Amino acid sequence: MGETIISVQDLSKSFGDHEVLKKIDMDVHEGEIICIVGSSGSGKSTLLRCINRLERQTSGKILFKGTELRDVQREINEYRSRVGMVFQSFNLFHNMTVLENCMLCTRKVLHLPKEEAFDRAITHLKAVGMAPYIHARPSQLSGGQKQRVAIARSLCMNPEVLLFDEPTSALDPEMVGEVLNVMKKLALTGLTMVIVTHEMAFARDVSTRTIFMDGGYVVEDAPPSQLFTNPQNSRTREFLSRYLAG
Amino acid sequence: MLLNIFGIEKPENSIEWMIFLAEKYAGMFWKGTVLTLLIAVLGTLLGFLLGYVIGIIQDAKIGRGDPVLRKAPIRLMKFIAAIYVEIFRDTPMIVQAMIIYFGIRQANIGITPVSAGVLVTVLNTGAYMAETVRAGIGSIDQGQREGAWAMGMSPMKTMLHIVLPQAFKNIIPEMANTFLTNLKMTSVLNVIAVQELFMAAKTVGGNYYKYFESYLVIAVIYFVLCFAFNKVFQFLEKRMGGKLDYALAVEYMDND
Repeated sequence: MGETIISVQDLSKSFGDHEVLKKIDMDVHEGEIICIVGSSGSGKSTLLRCINRLERQTSGKILFKGTELRDVQREINEYRSRVGMVFQSFNLFHNMTVLENCMLCTRKVLHLPKEEAFDRAITHLKAVGMAPYIHARPSQLSGGQKQRVAIARSLCMNPEVLLFDEPTSALDPEMVGEVLNVMKKLALTGLTMVIVTHEMAFARDVSTRTIFMDGGYVVEDAPPSQLFTNPQNSRTREFLSRYLAG
Repeated sequence: MLLNIFGIEKPENSIEWMIFLAEKYAGMFWKGTVLTLLIAVLGTLLGFLLGYVIGIIQDAKIGRGDPVLRKAPIRLMKFIAAIYVEIFRDTPMIVQAMIIYFGIRQANIGITPVSAGVLVTVLNTGAYMAETVRAGIGSIDQGQREGAWAMGMSPMKTMLHIVLPQAFKNIIPEMANTFLTNLKMTSVLNVIAVQELFMAAKTVGGNYYKYFESYLVIAVIYFVLCFAFNKVFQFLEKRMGGKLDYALAVEYMDND
């Protein structure tokens, strides 16, 4: 197992009186592909958003390569530039073309020269099959295309970890496939990925570790071969039976 | 001569009086129009600038763990911005004009009525614009910011590159509205002796005791100005809609 990149320790998060995450402990090691599964409202997305600092945990801490993250904006920016995130709703910038979407942050955050930012954008857009659409605006693309651009955009930053927050949940079944294929290709490159998903077959086939969350707890954390065929917890069994029965 | 064209020797009805006054005092009405436009355009543009700055300040985020030296100035600016916006939104412009003009004079600082007029318009516009900008910023989906933040963009850069350009587009109709309001609101500046359109009408009307006709003349001028600007803004808004199609980058086509 590779070096620990992100370490979530004793992390809790409440929205008002509602405790969404309860003392989560979780490590992400280099090269791992972790799928987080569980029913809606189990806290999967909130955990991911806490890891990316889009939500501030109520207690507990997150370590990035052994250093605890602090609430200093400058440090948060630096950290985020190394930990990418792909959203359910894509979040492409509406005021920019596909190419501009992919070049903005490499130019403004990493301060790459224009040519290099362009080359990176084209390389990653080619990899997701979206290079012909560089002049299109997000509103002119289908959901699957948008998500592929969003993935390319994140990759342009050369992130050390890429977080996926239900990347296919807003897509119709036909488009789910094209996005999952891109993610499968990515998995082969050795990129460290943390994926919140409802795609059980994908989790089973692609992840190196699957985490089942329920009611704000990590209920089970095991290799997919074990979690999907021989779940230890009755709640995991119940959840999986509903997905795998059909 | 206009009068000769219409064959009016001595004006007898209101229409003829309007033509008579408009022609005889064309210079005054012209100067009034120019000044009204100048104050409205300058005041609105600078006011927009101020409004954007205030709107951005009001939206600035403070990190919990940020150093005090960073937090304190932002808090102070937010506080000042809030007071400024409240004061100018909650008092009439005509009163603001008086207080600012006479206040500055009383402090023994030389200021012309026109400069004071522009200043009042800027401050007034800025306060309203700050709220418009804030609403415009609020209308942009939070996901747009999160997309930028998640790649390490600072909140300020996100504001400048992602949020403001989109908010700007959304509030164009409101900005056009503000400009038209300002164009008409310059008329209150006659209380500090700015020689704008209203002042011109007041002066002209007094010469012949023909106030009704004199004010009708400037009503027409205000109407034509506002109507024309309105059409221009509508045209610009349509053009800002952007292209509906795009060209495929064929050079990358075979790389699927």
